[in-house]
Amino acid sequence: MKNKLLSLNIASKTVNLGSHKIALLDKIDLQVHEGEFISLMGPSGSGKSTLLNCIGMLDRFTDGGYTFLGEPVHSMKEKNRSRLYKEYIGFVFQAYHLIDELTVYENIETPLLYKNIKSSERKAMVADMLDRFNIVGKKDLFPMQLSGGQQQLVGIARALIGKPKLILADEPTGNLNSKQSDEIMELFAQLNEEGVTIIQATHSESNAAYGSRIINLLDGKIV
Amino acid sequence: MILNYIKIAFRTLFKNKGYSFLNIFGLAIGITCASLIFLWVEDEVSFDSNFPKQDQVYYVPTHQEYDGEWRTFNSTPGPLAEAMKTEIPGIDKATPTKQADFLFTVGDHAINRSGRYVNADFIDIFSLNFIEGHKDQAFNTPEAIVITQETAEELFGKDTKVLGKTLRVNNKDNYQISGVIENLPKNITFPFNWIAPYERYTKGKEFTKEYGSFFADTFVALSPEAHFETVDAQVRNLLEQKTGESDSKAFLHAITDWHLRDKFENGKQVGGGILYVRLFTIIALIILLIACINFMNLSTARSEKRANEVGVRKAMGSGRSRLIFQFITEALILAFIATLVSILLLFLLLPQFNLIIAKDLVLGLSNPVHLLVLLGITLVCGVFAGLYPAFYLSSFKPVEVLKGLKVTQGSASFIRKGLVVGQFTISIVFIISTILVYQQIQHVKNRDLGYNKEQLISLNVNGNMIEKFDIIKQDLLKTGAITSVGLSNSELLSGGNNGSGLEWTGGTNTEDVLISFRYVNSDFLKTVGMELVEGRGFSENKEKDSSSVLITESFAKLMGTGSAIGKQVMRDDVYTVIGVVRDYQYGDMYGQSDPVLFHNYHEESSFMYLKTNPKIAPNEMLTLVEGVLKHHNPAFPFEYKFVDDTFNNKFKSEQLVGKLSQIFAILAILISCLGLFGLAAYTAEQRSKEIGVRKVLGASVSGIVRLLSKDFLKLVGLAIIIAIPIAWYSMHNWLQAYAYRIEINWWIFVIAGVVAILIALVTVSFQAIKAALANPVDSLKTE
Repeated sequence: MKNKLLSLNIASKTVNLGSHKIALLDKIDLQVHEGEFISLMGPSGSGKSTLLNCIGMLDRFTDGGYTFLGEPVHSMKEKNRSRLYKEYIGFVFQAYHLIDELTVYENIETPLLYKNIKSSERKAMVADMLDRFNIVGKKDLFPMQLSGGQQQLVGIARALIGKPKLILADEPTGNLNSKQSDEIMELFAQLNEEGVTIIQATHSESNAAYGSRIINLLDGKIV
Repeated sequence: MILNYIKIAFRTLFKNKGYSFLNIFGLAIGITCASLIFLWVEDEVSFDSNFPKQDQVYYVPTHQEYDGEWRTFNSTPGPLAEAMKTEIPGIDKATPTKQADFLFTVGDHAINRSGRYVNADFIDIFSLNFIEGHKDQAFNTPEAIVITQETAEELFGKDTKVLGKTLRVNNKDNYQISGVIENLPKNITFPFNWIAPYERYTKGKEFTKEYGSFFADTFVALSPEAHFETVDAQVRNLLEQKTGESDSKAFLHAITDWHLRDKFENGKQVGGGILYVRLFTIIALIILLIACINFMNLSTARSEKRANEVGVRKAMGSGRSRLIFQFITEALILAFIATLVSILLLFLLLPQFNLIIAKDLVLGLSNPVHLLVLLGITLVCGVFAGLYPAFYLSSFKPVEVLKGLKVTQGSASFIRKGLVVGQFTISIVFIISTILVYQQIQHVKNRDLGYNKEQLISLNVNGNMIEKFDIIKQDLLKTGAITSVGLSNSELLSGGNNGSGLEWTGGTNTEDVLISFRYVNSDFLKTVGMELVEGRGFSENKEKDSSSVLITESFAKLMGTGSAIGKQVMRDDVYTVIGVVRDYQYGDMYGQSDPVLFHNYHEESSFMYLKTNPKIAPNEMLTLVEGVLKHHNPAFPFEYKFVDDTFNNKFKSEQLVGKLSQIFAILAILISCLGLFGLAAYTAEQRSKEIGVRKVLGASVSGIVRLLSKDFLKLVGLAIIIAIPIAWYSMHNWLQAYAYRIEINWWIFVIAGVVAILIALVTVSFQAIKAALANPVDSLKTE
């Protein structure tokens, strides 16, 4: 068995809507090991995105325990959580969320800036990434000048540049056509083979099939 | 990293040209305004600062008590300076001085220059630098005169040695140049172009040796170790020691206070120009504040556009402090661009500004102080304006903004509305103040002066204008351009010779009323248009009226009830009142002028007044008058003043305040409107979907314009409510300084309110109409 990457121990998230308490996530128990490729499935509103955000530490569980690489995230301060996800987690979004004012090159470089990596080293790392994704020729273009598939490619390159252990992808192909979609999923499969742990949320059965494990969510519960 | 921020800043700038323009332009106007004001303030506070002995030099004015009130005069008895120097320890140097105008003639070249009779201590007090001659030998002979380099060059041309040359003065006296001093800076309180020995002035003038005549300007320098309070206390007692009377006190007025703290009320220092320096400094800061508010408003309004970026950056691992740093960097970059724009504006506007304020300000970017101030303004504006948007933007939660949720605008929109209200409050206060300042100036200018200042010119009496007066008068009248010629010893509009201690028949309490004395010819009243309310004026026959006097109404009141005609006034001699003149205004145009006693004696007149014929064009009239005077008084250049110009000059500081407050009111409104325009554009954009839905549901264009404008007008309405009491209170206080003043009318507030609303409406409705006319299909399709 591989190392345990993270574990959720009856983790819940509730929000107050007026006087009602609504459970977005209800007592989730989940172990993720390094090298897994997990697909989260379920209808809209079942809690897939919330679960991803909470695992990605952009959001917090309101109850239960969350351990990441042996560290107790649920009792951590903001600063330490930020350090942790900066180091180990990369995000890929459905709407790509590239910074419009930055070029492809600069978008990919951004996470490295926040990790205080030296300029020469950054150059080499970004060049490698551009090479690997075959987008060297596009490095000086702005996101608006790219197709959706290309933008997502840049999004993934940006997620990978920090050499994360875990990639969280929230419907990464939701805005793409089926051909672009397949290419992106192939890429994920390949990354997974290279050892990157991936958790993706998806509606599509065929995309989910790329994963090594499927988790179905309904009304915030694993079913 | 920082490069990355700068890159982003510039790209954002270009991508949103409209917003960037509003931001930069608003800030640039603010910085330009503030810079102009600070340049003016710098000039004002640097008066007299070029003299090295800043903490040693003092002027000596006197407080004098009349009618239980202490009034302050710029004159001292002649012997005071010498007595101060010999009797008060700590006073190192002292000189009495007397200001005078000299007509210098070299060959056929003649120029008029003012200067002072002084004694040698004057040179040390002001540390004058000699280019030619030596300061120790400058006043060795009574014929000596020291002139400034400028004067020397004008008389003899550049690069000429002038030491020892003879100067013809006023066409009758000879002076010998004993020195040339460096030119004096422009901003000094007591300017002079020459100095000559004081003895030459006092020779044969007995009054200059008496303690009873106040005529001299006295300057002193304290020794470096002297203690101001001790010396000042002794100076205050000196006149009483000399005369035995306690109603005059000389005191020390420091060189650093001459220009800006020269007003005294009842013996107490009450400020002067410093009030305006403070006022305008505050205005400069307020305008900068308005510009910064604009900046904050526009930045936070655009926050939704930036929210996504904030979310992504946070997800990429950026901490909040880095985002704050990034946004402040952006604000600083904009502030720097604004400063560059404002430097350009300053180059364009400074000449105009100089015209308005009648100064010679220079931008002086090579002056490190100017650069530092400009840099300081830029940094403060950038950081101050960037701080709120930075904290606001960086507080976004990545989960929310990345999900595409609407950023909750609650607190931000509240603050934004508050800022708009603040801006408009300031603008409305400016509008109201501008109207009231203008009204007050007009009010005083239209005051019934008791004489007619129109069609009246004044000439300085010089040469043989008195000896040849009768023939000059005849010739002037013969030209047809002049209808009447008057003579007087003092200027019509100014104070002048005055005194107290008169006695009159039936008079009581005569000691301490200050009376002005005027020595005029028979035609004076007619020439200046003063009105006799009782009795008659002086007759042409001088002998007949040599012991007659005219008095003003307020004087008649002092003499008690009943007609004043025939009553007697004792002043050296006994005089009979033959007529009463309506009170007229001179000296302080806002106050109540002292009673006046007119003598029929024109032999020592200094001013000639000419009433001109309105049917003759001014140019022609002047040529005719000049012809007559050149003929009879050929040695002196023809120089004249229109009395209404002199009158207008008396309102210089008020008019300056008026003009500046007008400019600043306009600019404050302009900047506020830029902000409002941006906000309206943003609101229209934000509500485009709502507008689309409403239109689909059948809303009319006018209905939508109303919907969008209403919110802004509410803000302006609130601003009006806040502004009115502030404006009323501050203007009420300002007006208290003037004895003759306007009442504040309620309709001024109405006008200001309506103006503000109209301006806001025009600004907002442009955007509202644009939004209302948009095709709903476009706005609904975007989601």
